[in-house]
Amino acid sequence: MFKYQFRWDTVWGSFDFLMGGLEMTLIISAITLVLAMAGGLIIALLDMSRFRALRWIGVSIGEVVRNTPILVQLLWVYYVLPIVFGVRIEGLVALIIGLALYQAAFISEVYRSGIQSVPKGHREAAQVLGLTPFQAFRRIVLPQAIRMTLPPLASNFVQLIKFSSLGAVISVSEITRRGMELSATNFRPLETFTFIAVVYFFICWPLAMAIRFWERRLQAR
Amino acid sequence: MSGTPFLLADSVTKRFGTNQVLTRVSLPVMERDVVCIVGPSGSGKTTLLRCFALLEAPSEGRIVMQGVPIATADPDRQVKNAARAVRSDIGMVFQHFNLWPHMSVLENLTEAPMLVKKMPKDEAVAIAEGLLKKVDLADKRDAYPARLSGGQQQRVAIARALAMSPKVLLFDEATSALDPELRREVLLVMRQLAQEGMTMLVVTHEMGFARHVGTRTVFMDRGEIVEEAPGAAFFDAPKTERAKRFLQQFEEE
Repeated sequence: MFKYQFRWDTVWGSFDFLMGGLEMTLIISAITLVLAMAGGLIIALLDMSRFRALRWIGVSIGEVVRNTPILVQLLWVYYVLPIVFGVRIEGLVALIIGLALYQAAFISEVYRSGIQSVPKGHREAAQVLGLTPFQAFRRIVLPQAIRMTLPPLASNFVQLIKFSSLGAVISVSEITRRGMELSATNFRPLETFTFIAVVYFFICWPLAMAIRFWERRLQAR
Repeated sequence: MSGTPFLLADSVTKRFGTNQVLTRVSLPVMERDVVCIVGPSGSGKTTLLRCFALLEAPSEGRIVMQGVPIATADPDRQVKNAARAVRSDIGMVFQHFNLWPHMSVLENLTEAPMLVKKMPKDEAVAIAEGLLKKVDLADKRDAYPARLSGGQQQRVAIARALAMSPKVLLFDEATSALDPELRREVLLVMRQLAQEGMTMLVVTHEMGFARHVGTRTVFMDRGEIVEEAPGAAFFDAPKTERAKRFLQQFEEE
């Protein structure tokens, strides 16, 4: 270790290759976040449904997804779904489906707590003034709930950036996968993976700090 | 008292699970009445008020407005329609104000008229500005509720209720959450409304208000109306032992 000769040039030489992977990572994370936000809404609506069967479906999806490892879920989507439906799924599609489902289960809880954070009295005030329950939800509850859910949603984006590295095991060409491929040819895992870790850190850390600041400002109101 | 009451609780019983909070309470409210409901905490006065506000459905009995039932234990379509029709005629002021924090003071006042009455914006704004002047908060129209003191928030809440031109206003311990020095400004507004002839139902611990502004005082204890007397009579000569004991607490203060 002490006599190790750093060869960072092996990393710089493949800078564009790795940055292309980073671009892929961010695109995957963004697409997945949008899908997970929609999926989370569906699960949240199922959870809060008036019908028991729908509530049961919503709760089951949430519990299964939250209580199995994300890696196993990805492998399951990638290898099992094709067997069941008889179609070949590309790694990229499998990754997006798997991650979106996983995040959706958490985001549904974010929505739920956002809605529950609005005091009941605000809705009652609306009701007494003659607003219908739907009007009260749209005008009074939702705008307040959305403000409360934005920081946690942003945190989910940070998590997605990190989780998308799991795409490497199902050959999705995001930055971690490209790092694996690079280190297999340059035989320089130390430089390669250190560089990749630094890249992840300097994307996720400022985001996380900004979110913390944002949450503190919301709480101060 | 003669004629049909403006608002009437007709033998209302309310249970939450096995906990019976109101037991066959009957209370008529005539037009221009200022009925003050007093009593120890847990006596059911807030629940009674919430039944009048249609926020709680009675377990038995009915709420009747000008002879028309608007709430029953098992409302049919007719009752539901009647309730919807008079919904905004019954205004309510809450203990914790319940202003909407994401809207400015002005928006708090214009929201319901525009949404429920489909009032054009400029008309709603004009009415809101007039009401803010009335509660002495014209300069706060663009402020957000969090920037106001408790007393100011409650006055905005009263103005918001008035913006729907209700025929009766319910006050649920409107000054209880306020520091003593902020209560006066709210009580003054309430007194002014009473003098203007607003029909009011006031759950309160403000004995001075009940005595001097109220036209009738209703004393509740353990889910029942124990005693009822016009204006100051209740305070000068309480008839029941329970009422005497209740009033004693305030003398000792």
